[in-house]
Amino acid sequence: MEKKAPRKVALVANCLLNQNAKVCQGANYRGLVNPVVEALRSRGYEFLQLPCPELAFAGVRRWWAVYEQYDTPAYRAHCRRLAQAIAPLIEQHLRRGDEVILIGLDGSPSSGVRFTSSKPDWGGRPNRPEDDWEIVPRRGIWIEELEAELARRGLPALPATGWALDMGRFDEAGSRRDLEQFLDSREVAAVTRRDKSAAP
Amino acid sequence: MSGDARGWRMALVPDALINPPDPIRAALPDVMRLLEASGYGVLHLPPPGQHSLLLAVIADQVAEYAHHGYAVVALGVHGKSGDGLHWRRLAPLLRHRGVPLPPRHLIRPDVDAAIEGQRLAGFLAGYDLPVEEQRRWRV
Repeated sequence: MEKKAPRKVALVANCLLNQNAKVCQGANYRGLVNPVVEALRSRGYEFLQLPCPELAFAGVRRWWAVYEQYDTPAYRAHCRRLAQAIAPLIEQHLRRGDEVILIGLDGSPSSGVRFTSSKPDWGGRPNRPEDDWEIVPRRGIWIEELEAELARRGLPALPATGWALDMGRFDEAGSRRDLEQFLDSREVAAVTRRDKSAAP
Repeated sequence: MSGDARGWRMALVPDALINPPDPIRAALPDVMRLLEASGYGVLHLPPPGQHSLLLAVIADQVAEYAHHGYAVVALGVHGKSGDGLHWRRLAPLLRHRGVPLPPRHLIRPDVDAAIEGQRLAGFLAGYDLPVEEQRRWRV
């Protein structure tokens, strides 16, 4: 039987394909985040959309929140349930030898990959002054739980980056450069791997 | 919602339309591009197979949107099992959550892709919630 060629698959944070999932005042696009979609499509990636943990937990009219507010046993259990829902599809790709990458949402308390938002004293009446949270280098809760579920299944860590939409001031051109550099570095790594395996 | 660009509309989309396999890619309109141009978000449905938990999670999300002023449609592929939408499983999950079934638009791979693309663009442009519902939620 002919072996199928490996595919390139991008796991994408839910709101990168659906900005309606964003917290109120957090949507920068009407629907799809087109720069992300185009960067991936032009490099031959397929999409696998992750569920939105915040929407399914706190609803579309939820308050803004930081990492520490979502760091609760109930929210982590909810994220684990979502991870168990999507992990079989990811596992299928990885076991087949597909290249799987993860594109999260940097600055998000849930979907941050390189950065999340932090303010340990947030809580109570939601009347904080603007932009008083901090950005810290850490995964969001959802990404932590998703990675833990993949590890439980004996799967390797996924190469990952984040689209920097939730970092305070959004810089689309900078985010696009970052993403393209990450994707192009994957291409270089793939070529190197192919060259090595073809070497006598 | 000042300073917010959301379009308030989204589509349930089968995997076959998001990641069309090479043999049928040319026979289908570019659905992602049409959704983007029409300001729709995507709710990605899994490929064929047993995905009970994932479908329940998706149904929860659709219910949350449908109960708060968002317009949800479903795009299917004519000739695919359940139109590629897992409809036999998804429809009862939505009903159970009190969600009216989203209007469905089926794409025909046996018809010229450009014509199907125009038909889809017309469907997407023409659908939204009644104005009074929009006014109630979209402030």
